[in-house]
Amino acid sequence: MLQIHDLHAQVADDRREILKGLSLTVQAGEVHAVMGPNGSGKSTLANVVAGRETYEVTRGDILLDGESLLESEPDERAHRGVFMAFQYPVEIPGVSNTYFLRAALNARLKAEGKEEMDAMSFLKHIRAKVQLLGLSNDMLSRSVNEGFSGGEKKRNEIFQMAVLEPRLCVLDETDSGLDIDALQTVANGVNALRSPDRAFIVVTHYQRLLNFIVPDFVHVLMDGRIVKSGGKELALELEDKGYGWIEAEVGATA
Amino acid sequence: MSTAVEPSISLLGLEAWAERPAGPGWLRELKALALESHRALGIPTTKHEEWKYTPLRGLTERRWTPGEPGPAVFQQELPRHEPNSVRVVLVNGRFDRNLSESGTPSPVTGEGAGGGGLTAKSLRDALTEDEALVRPWLGQVRPRTTQAVGREIKPDSHTFAELNTVVFEDGLFLRLQGEIAPLVEIVHVSTGEGQAFAPRVLILAEEGSRARIVETYVSDGTGPTFILPVTEVIVKEGAHLEHVRVQDESPESFHIANWQTHQAPRSEYHSYNVCYGAALARVDQGIWLDGEDTVTRLDGVVCASGDQHIDNHTRLDHAFPNGNSFEIYKQVVDDRATVVFNGKIFVHQDAQKTDAKQTNQALLLSPTATIDSKPQLEIFADDVKCTHGATVGQLEDLPLFYMRSRGVPKQQAEAVLVYAFAAEVLELITHEGVRQSLEKRLYEKLGVDLT
Ligand SMILES: Nc1ncnc2c1ncn2[C@@H]1O[C@H](COP(=O)(O)OP(=O)(O)OP(=O)(O)O)[C@@H](O)[C@H]1O
Ligand SMILES: [Mg+2]
Repeated sequence: MLQIHDLHAQVADDRREILKGLSLTVQAGEVHAVMGPNGSGKSTLANVVAGRETYEVTRGDILLDGESLLESEPDERAHRGVFMAFQYPVEIPGVSNTYFLRAALNARLKAEGKEEMDAMSFLKHIRAKVQLLGLSNDMLSRSVNEGFSGGEKKRNEIFQMAVLEPRLCVLDETDSGLDIDALQTVANGVNALRSPDRAFIVVTHYQRLLNFIVPDFVHVLMDGRIVKSGGKELALELEDKGYGWIEAEVGATA
Repeated sequence: MSTAVEPSISLLGLEAWAERPAGPGWLRELKALALESHRALGIPTTKHEEWKYTPLRGLTERRWTPGEPGPAVFQQELPRHEPNSVRVVLVNGRFDRNLSESGTPSPVTGEGAGGGGLTAKSLRDALTEDEALVRPWLGQVRPRTTQAVGREIKPDSHTFAELNTVVFEDGLFLRLQGEIAPLVEIVHVSTGEGQAFAPRVLILAEEGSRARIVETYVSDGTGPTFILPVTEVIVKEGAHLEHVRVQDESPESFHIANWQTHQAPRSEYHSYNVCYGAALARVDQGIWLDGEDTVTRLDGVVCASGDQHIDNHTRLDHAFPNGNSFEIYKQVVDDRATVVFNGKIFVHQDAQKTDAKQTNQALLLSPTATIDSKPQLEIFADDVKCTHGATVGQLEDLPLFYMRSRGVPKQQAEAVLVYAFAAEVLELITHEGVRQSLEKRLYEKLGVDLT
């Protein structure tokens, strides 16, 4: 489904290179965890996949279903099935959560040549998902993320994902700042969406999340590259030993 | 060619206007005085402090003719914000009986809930039929002399308001009594290339009355028109009035308006100045707080694009203690448009415990858009709370990306964020129908069709 090949990306403003030849292949139905030290480029990867203009791809390619994503605008990528749950969800005062989400869903339906949803059928469409993620009516009618607690913002991200039903879901530290119950709720939300034609990239610092969302692969991202990949036991090893030993290993082979 | 006193009426090509016959004797006196002031003031240039950012070249380069009566029927639908409203229509500055709730004999009257009463009639008729109500207020809402205003504070001069007084022939007299349940809509339609119109509106919100009105200005886009309306509003003791003013004229129109309100003790006046249209638009709004315990809103939403020039000057006089006022201006400027805002608040010596808040915020959507804003607070009392703040910004990158990453197309995402910016004011409008139609028009202006 997703092929990232020798990806180099820099900050457009100051040309600082952050991704330095990153390659990653994700098949439909799989869950890939991406772990790595602070500042290694995990969020940059997620943002580059979603099409953030702050970053410039200088080399390599990102293919979705065999076709490059790089020339597509962020909204077109969303229509093609890409979704990123933000590490820091954005507050948009004055725009209600439901209005926003309906506009997003209708934009995609329109792009697919399908009929748009009116307010009533939209409310029906989201009802079960509201329950699944434990959102209150109040949160739905409030401005997007405005005044939401950290945990509420993260739940709102997964809620949006559940409503939009994307095919490639990139979750950037959705577990950070969640209490145990919320973590379970978010994981349930994600697991409910797992399906043979959908793939997940889950960026996290904690092995704990991976007990709930069990990954097929675990990758270690360091200094803009995937330096090690393995099964779910790699996450346990990282939890145990930190990143130092990988650094040493990479240093030795380089 | 340059004399000290501009022969300003002829500068606009409107000599014929000054010669029209003019009603009862007291009115002729009023008009003669106004003509004197207007002559002395002339047509302002940008050397004039109050017109520094608004050149009138586009207006004076053209020849205007006094407005003719408009057509009896209109091809396009006239604006209506709410299906169940009571609507009165002024065509080319004249009260139109037939278009004002078809079939209703003049004057339009209605019973609101709770025994309220609504009178809406031609001002020309009211000048004689309702002289006792009209005469004390017409042209008198704004204190005109230094003596009336107070020692330290100067009255304003409004040359176009004086001109309106000189030339107006008709307009609307609206009297509100008790509680008026339906929305009252006043629609001003202008049509006729090269014509100038001077409608006069007098609104009398009687003691203890409650009402919501929306006053909408449109022109039909068949060529430039010039309207110089004056609206005078008297909000009597304990009355509560919500007044939305919508200027949505076609983009080649000229609009120079004067809007004056007098508030009696314990009255509330919530006013919203929505500016979407015209090539050149200037509104001078003045509110005189003539009594204690008043509540006042004077908010504005401006959306200018193309080569539009929109200028709002507001003046609020806190002349008595315990007045609360709130003023928020939200201004969106795109393309090569220019927006000017000047907000004066005078807190007079006696106006202790005044609480006045003014905010004006501009959103620039293009590098060639211009905003000039100037808050002006002058405080002569010592126990008051007055704040003001002004910001100029652009659409932020991150919310745009957030919305787009969810699939909302760029133009729509921008429009949604612009609406969100303006919403802080639009959402204060309590009438839902009005709010929704203003929202829809804003999206249309921003090029997004949200159906
Ligand atoms: N817009 C930007 N401008 C300048 N530097 C940036 C920008 N975006 C990212 N960086 C830098 O690139 C590096 C990688 O950042 P990124 O946010 O991708 O790290 P991360 O792996 O997600 O870290 P964390 O685990 O702390 O979330 C950091 O050093 C960061 O400061
Ligand atoms: Mg990160």
